[in-house]
Amino acid sequence: MTKTKEKSLYSVWFVVPSLAIFLIFFLWPVISSLYYSMTVWNFETATFNGLENYKLFFTDPAMSSSVPHTLLYAFATSGLKVVLAFFIAIFLTSSIKTKGFIRSAVFFPNLVSTMAVGLTFAYMMHPTKGLLNVAIQGLGGKPVDFLGDPKVALWGIILSDVWKGLSISVVIYIAGIQSIDQSYYEAASIDGANWWQQITNVTLPLVAPAQNSIIILSLIGGLRTFDLIWAMTGGGPGFATDVLASVIYKQYAAGFYGLSTAGNVVMLILISIIAFPLQHFLNKREEAIR
Amino acid sequence: MNRKLMSLTLAIALAVTMLMGVSAVAEAKPFEGVTITFWGGQAELNPGTLAVIEAAEEALGLHVETEINPGGSEGDNLLKTRIASNDLPDLMVYNSGSKLYDLNPSRCFLDIKDWDLVSRVDDAFLSSVTIDGAVYGLPQSSTQAGAIIYYKPDYEELGLEVPHTWAEFVDNCAKLKEAGKTPIELTAGDTWTTQVLFLGDYYNINAEYPTFAEEYTEGKAKYADIPVATRSWTKYEDLVDYLNADKSAATVQDGNFAIGTGEATHWFILTQQLPLITAEADDQSQIGVFGVPGDDPDNHGLTVWEPMSFYVWKDSQNIDAVKAFLDFYFSEEMLNLYFETYGANGPSCIKGYTLPETVCDAVRVDMQQYFDAGKTCPALEYVSPIKGTACEQLTTAVAMGQMSGADAAKDYDEDCKKSAVQLGYNWE
Repeated sequence: MTKTKEKSLYSVWFVVPSLAIFLIFFLWPVISSLYYSMTVWNFETATFNGLENYKLFFTDPAMSSSVPHTLLYAFATSGLKVVLAFFIAIFLTSSIKTKGFIRSAVFFPNLVSTMAVGLTFAYMMHPTKGLLNVAIQGLGGKPVDFLGDPKVALWGIILSDVWKGLSISVVIYIAGIQSIDQSYYEAASIDGANWWQQITNVTLPLVAPAQNSIIILSLIGGLRTFDLIWAMTGGGPGFATDVLASVIYKQYAAGFYGLSTAGNVVMLILISIIAFPLQHFLNKREEAIR
Repeated sequence: MNRKLMSLTLAIALAVTMLMGVSAVAEAKPFEGVTITFWGGQAELNPGTLAVIEAAEEALGLHVETEINPGGSEGDNLLKTRIASNDLPDLMVYNSGSKLYDLNPSRCFLDIKDWDLVSRVDDAFLSSVTIDGAVYGLPQSSTQAGAIIYYKPDYEELGLEVPHTWAEFVDNCAKLKEAGKTPIELTAGDTWTTQVLFLGDYYNINAEYPTFAEEYTEGKAKYADIPVATRSWTKYEDLVDYLNADKSAATVQDGNFAIGTGEATHWFILTQQLPLITAEADDQSQIGVFGVPGDDPDNHGLTVWEPMSFYVWKDSQNIDAVKAFLDFYFSEEMLNLYFETYGANGPSCIKGYTLPETVCDAVRVDMQQYFDAGKTCPALEYVSPIKGTACEQLTTAVAMGQMSGADAAKDYDEDCKKSAVQLGYNWE
């Protein structure tokens, strides 16, 4: 008998099923989309045209404007959620009587379908009949065309998104805050730290792992957002609220499959160059605290 | 006694029913038990179509299963996905003209040029569904126009005349505004509607620059360079002060109501809305139509759209039943049933057929006079396969005063170039 190599506990073949799924349904589409993004493609024939689609994507104002819109949307919704949800979570973990009820009330918007939220907010923001404008006019103000004025339309959608998406962030924060050991607070208060100092010096650093998940989740969610924008404005007025995903959808609807694929590649790259360094940076921060 | 009478009656009744049953079996319906699937938009599955379907089920014995296409980008995406997976209904309704061209129809639709029905349809329609010698479609409804639909009582009240030049039209709007009316309804909540002024102005471009369509398809004629074509974009600027307050959010339904009840006076819209607008009005005679005016008072015409078309799936198992259904649909009796039930969008494109008396004056008088005088012209999408995809976003932005007409014309030229490249044209 010859001496065999040290045997691993499980056979390598166990990896094959998941590896196959990864290769067929993830890696292969990514690679083939790189090719199709450089063609004029109608499902049957694909004519290679180099980087023409990418050039078109970044020179046509109807499409290129979607990149800054996407970035603004992602960073604004993510930033607002991170800050607002923190204070709501602090409030909900303090000793208040109707805690259970308020927690459910805060979570409620998340149970409503995005389409329904979009249509409801769009109606509330209607320039003449909407609830918000009726209220503004009742207080003697001038009506605002929330979704019809290109300067404010994107912000109208951002606020609706924050309303709907805040709850998940609050829940993650609550879990994070509750896992902080009470002894830290006791030690801090013995040292004479007031409420605000306890929050900034105890809660904030120790809730960092939860906060990092919220930042990553909401930012990536914001970068690839589509449904709420489509329900509220369809990218309009003009192109004022067009983001990458809605532009890609429109190009696909127009039958420009190659161009639409190029848009998808742009989105993949954009999310990658933002998400990977950010994740790296946040992990570093988390380790530094420990 | 009574019981005897009763049993006698029942016996007779039974015998009669049985005989009727026998006779029904004797003249068996030709397509008993066949189900054909039919996919159309909300507008096509209107009461008129449903009435005809019901009659067809009665007469032919087949069953028509309808399915609604959501329309717009959603509808296009669904359709293209279904074509790619070869999963189409037996019979469907979709645009004729450039949008049909985009679908590459030879791989999914049946060439019906040998059907007798084709000879009954006028040439203008046929040219919009003929690609490389193959004929794919039959008209689902009547022709329609991209025009101005207006509320006549406002005109009577202020003693206004139907304008024959753009300047006169803007002047009318000023007078209406002075009288406290909303001169123009804009329904940017459904963005496609904002294109109608631009697209409906094509009659005027064609009148002054007859080779436009050809040169545009070759990439030589540009909207930004040809003054009369730039005008189609700058006309929006003249109207900014005359629009309704909820212009950014108003939908087509709001528009139907506004014009039908006189909340607003004019609306740039396809005349397919006429049946729905007249349904809102007290009387159909209150609603009128005129073409988008140009600068020559003696040449005021109408830009005409061909109707949506029926298409038959190439691989359908029920082609015979579909053909029988369509033969039935285009019988004079059924055409009358359709137009009497639903109304018409414009003059019919079936040769030798006249619309029933019940169709509104806006179609039979206002629109018909342009056809009689020969002052009609097909919309650009029926003479050129190229249409920019951002058209409705650009027209919305200009109509709301967010960008100038000249800039929009320039952007649209770029947008058309994009379409041309994607369709395989070599534009420089």
